[in-house]
Amino acid sequence: MTHDTGSDEMLEAAARAYARGLPELPAALDDRVMAVVRGRPVPAVPRPRHMPNVWRWLVEPKQVRPAFAVPLAAAAALALFFVARQTAPRAASAPAVAAALPADTIYVRFELAAPAARNVALAGSFNSWGEQSIVLARGVGGTWSVTVALPVGEHRYQFVVDGERWVSDPTAHAQVADGFGVTNSVIVVSPRGVVRS
Amino acid sequence: MILLVRILSGFAVAWLLAMVVSAPAPLLAQAAAVHTQLAARGLPADLTVAVESLAARAGAQGLPWEPLADKAIEGWAKHVPAARIVAAVRVFAGRMGEGRSAVRGAGVAEPDAALIRAAAEALGSGLAQPEIGAVVRAAPRLALAAPALTVAAALRAQGFSSEQAVAVVAESMRGGRTMTQLLDIPQAARAMQLQGMPPGEIGRRILRAPPHGTIMPGVPGMPPGGMLPGGMPPGGMPPPLPRQPIQPPIMLNPMP
Repeated sequence: MTHDTGSDEMLEAAARAYARGLPELPAALDDRVMAVVRGRPVPAVPRPRHMPNVWRWLVEPKQVRPAFAVPLAAAAALALFFVARQTAPRAASAPAVAAALPADTIYVRFELAAPAARNVALAGSFNSWGEQSIVLARGVGGTWSVTVALPVGEHRYQFVVDGERWVSDPTAHAQVADGFGVTNSVIVVSPRGVVRS
Repeated sequence: MILLVRILSGFAVAWLLAMVVSAPAPLLAQAAAVHTQLAARGLPADLTVAVESLAARAGAQGLPWEPLADKAIEGWAKHVPAARIVAAVRVFAGRMGEGRSAVRGAGVAEPDAALIRAAAEALGSGLAQPEIGAVVRAAPRLALAAPALTVAAALRAQGFSSEQAVAVVAESMRGGRTMTQLLDIPQAARAMQLQGMPPGEIGRRILRAPPHGTIMPGVPGMPPGGMLPGGMPPGGMPPPLPRQPIQPPIMLNPMP
């Protein structure tokens, strides 16, 4: 597209000549017009009949300055966050009963007679089933043992023999299916201590 | 159109902004926590994704997700194939839902994670939903409900019938037993079992024990009558007991 400067000048000259022919408007005209407008009733906005106050509050135009909108949003977000926290399930990575009890800790001795074993470890719900975090010491006659501080409550565990065989504890309080086709040993730690067979 | 613009103005805009920012926060935090927990134990990506999905579904239903992550980690540690881990996690998620229903049926409208988990594990031990409800209803206070379910599940696993297990636990609570006494029951029952007592006799002895004493019977390594000096084994540890060598090891979980 080309720009024709000659045509622009002609248009501006015609506009100036037209404006000279118009009558001069009084300076107070704007104020008078606005006074008339303000005096007229505001046209009604259609709204539901049942909750007029809430609806009016919601749809009423408001001046929201950017400086206020951000803290307002943050406050609402905080309120929602706390509501969500209250309704969301609480975290409980510890065993069920341990989570419901005071944090009493009891020393529990685990033993396994395994004379042929090269090493024995203890894996259970109390150490996230870590295969090497709790290692038993070999004693006289091939009895392996370790003493572990456990919270009061129920714990499930197995011995890991030679790093590959998962063996239940015959002295545990109970044996329960682990969901994978074998059994976990169960020990219920009371604040008074643990006695096993 | 004008109305719509007005609705979206002012506070409404701020409120919508807040909703967008904060609504998914707990779910996002949960997904991140599950991912971190599973990744830290070296679970493969496909298994992690499958467990995350189940955990997210549980979380959306208001169920705790931590037991599902724990179950996946347990299976992975035991070298269980991934498909079987996912199946076990799904089963446990279902049990948590059933357990929560049972607990709600007993009048606890919003059970916490510990109680839901205890109910799920009790279901896994063979207790039925009505029996779980009976144990929860017998608890004189809510804090006792989860331990009571755990003890009932342990008794069931020891060979008690569901009715016997529930009766022992419920009657113990009605008789004013404390939480400590309640938690003593599985070991006392086990000790009496090893003395050759049938479950019915064990249940009677437990319920006959004095309300404020120990219910431990006379077992090897303990004083006659079961009353321990000071009420606690020295250092919390009982003396080591004679043990039998274990049977020749069996390959329980063949390496993949």
